[in-house]
Amino acid sequence: MIRDITIGQYYATESIIHKLDPRVKVVCTFAYIISLFCFNQLSGYIIAALFFWCITKLSKVPFKFIVRGIKPILFMLVFTALLNLFWTSGEHILIKYGVITITAEGVKRTIFMALRLVFLIIGSSLMTLATTPNQLTDAIEKLLRPLNKLKVPVHEVAMMMSIALRFIPILVEETDKIMKAQLARGADFESGNIFHRIKSMAPIIIPLFVSAARRATDLALAMDARCYNGGEGRTKMKPLKYKKQDIIAYLIMLLYITVIIIAGKYLPF
Amino acid sequence: MKPFINAKGLVHEYSRRDEEGNVTGINRALDGIDIEVKAGGFIAVLGANGSGKSTFAKHLNALLVPTEGTLYVDGMDTSEQKNNLPIRRTAGMVFQNPDNQIISNVVEEDVGFGPENMGVPTEEIWRRVEESLKSVGMYEYRKDSPNHLSGGQKQRIAIAGIMAMKPKCIVLDEPTAMLDPSGRKAVIKTVKELNKKENITIILITHYMEEVTGADYVYVMSEGQVKMKGTPRQVFARSEELAKYRLMVPEVTKIALGLSKKGINIPKDILYPEELTDILLKIKSGVL
Ligand SMILES: Nc1ncnc2c1ncn2[C@@H]1O[C@H](COP(=O)(O)OP(=O)(O)OP(=O)(O)O)[C@@H](O)[C@H]1O
Ligand SMILES: [Mg+2]
Repeated sequence: MIRDITIGQYYATESIIHKLDPRVKVVCTFAYIISLFCFNQLSGYIIAALFFWCITKLSKVPFKFIVRGIKPILFMLVFTALLNLFWTSGEHILIKYGVITITAEGVKRTIFMALRLVFLIIGSSLMTLATTPNQLTDAIEKLLRPLNKLKVPVHEVAMMMSIALRFIPILVEETDKIMKAQLARGADFESGNIFHRIKSMAPIIIPLFVSAARRATDLALAMDARCYNGGEGRTKMKPLKYKKQDIIAYLIMLLYITVIIIAGKYLPF
Repeated sequence: MKPFINAKGLVHEYSRRDEEGNVTGINRALDGIDIEVKAGGFIAVLGANGSGKSTFAKHLNALLVPTEGTLYVDGMDTSEQKNNLPIRRTAGMVFQNPDNQIISNVVEEDVGFGPENMGVPTEEIWRRVEESLKSVGMYEYRKDSPNHLSGGQKQRIAIAGIMAMKPKCIVLDEPTAMLDPSGRKAVIKTVKELNKKENITIILITHYMEEVTGADYVYVMSEGQVKMKGTPRQVFARSEELAKYRLMVPEVTKIALGLSKKGINIPKDILYPEELTDILLKIKSGVL
């Protein structure tokens, strides 16, 4: 059923990683991504891969779910790889054929760059697989709270995100309904050139906007009726609280970063 | 005793404006409403489309304020801005469209939304969420996504969300209009139980006649005015007048009326199918 589509890609299971405070997961994912740019030799990649493998095992998320995240960026990956391969100049020329030169430095850089991108993607995939969208918005709200002082409406943005999460499936279903209704009236969305097709979308987009606007006014009334008054004076049903395991997770992350930096400095390969 | 809800000469005008904000037309949606409701009562408001029911309901929650006249909810004047939040705590509101009033994508979190806004402490929120989900019979769905529930179930979640705010009164604006018959029954049953067991004042707005049979008192609205009022029996006995306001009496009452027109000696104010079968059986066996 179309209502079953999930935003994000939460993989529901019980694991230590799932139970961690979502803030830990967001912060550590960022730290991990940054760590990928702190080294430039093979040993660093080996450490990063090992670390990632351990976390994945702990999270109990099947590996095939994690690599699925690479698919949408496969094209970009290949494209940057090719750019790196052909445009890196160096001393050790491997192949020279007309304008095409491939150097040993180019090959090395290509592989490292691709690996970096892959780790970046699967790292953030793992985070979204092990954290519900709700927890993610909660974490973002709490982590960005200091920005409140700069008059950034952090609570409001988080509220908007969570409302969007609730209404996207409903609007998707509605689009489907409107499309079928217009098809029944003889609308044709498939034929004609691109401009023609874009124009034929109007009978879907307009009713969809009208209905979304009506839902928005209704929802605003309902929120008013339930005493919603912005973030001030609000309590939380599920407040985020750091527990022992979260502190340990931070410490492990710190350890990993230290190891990566030291390895980058002192290991010869 | 002072009435819990007291409307006197309530008038509400919607004004249509052009782009510059000049008033181009006035629509008098409420035109001098007088309604009194006792605490713990169950009243129903009936009326055809556009009769002003929703406009009245929104006044009870201070979502709209009177253009003229006064409305007091639990002694608080709704036209004073500072009373807005206290009034919304006292009188909860359930709307027609179940999808557009559920805010969160987990059932229990949605029920907790009102108490969160009111600043209720965390443990107390959990207690209230559990209690109100149980009282509408939806406790086992607490971890689900509302998107997977039926309309009737969603409406009960919405009611639970209001219950968790511990209001003294719940206003339901056509809560069953988008539901199928079984969903409708479940919602109305829930509402009646809340009224009986928890002594919550209920104001049920509807245009389904069958739903008002349990009410203490019924108001019939048309063109922004209260045209008829009385107990359900008193109101339904006047079926010709109801038809004038584009309302129809329940099926059973209609059958009884038809029979009595045919010369059978039967009361005109029958509300329940069991009542009718009872009387018909008595007539058949010659008791009546
Ligand atoms: N926001 C608005 N702006 C202008 N006019 C409005 C607005 N809302 C309602 N009205 C008008 O006020 C009158 C009463 O509307 P109201 O929604 O209260 O009726 P209702 O009895 O709830 O009808 P329904 O059974 O369709 O829900 C109608 O004539 C309607 O057109
Ligand atoms: Mg209405």
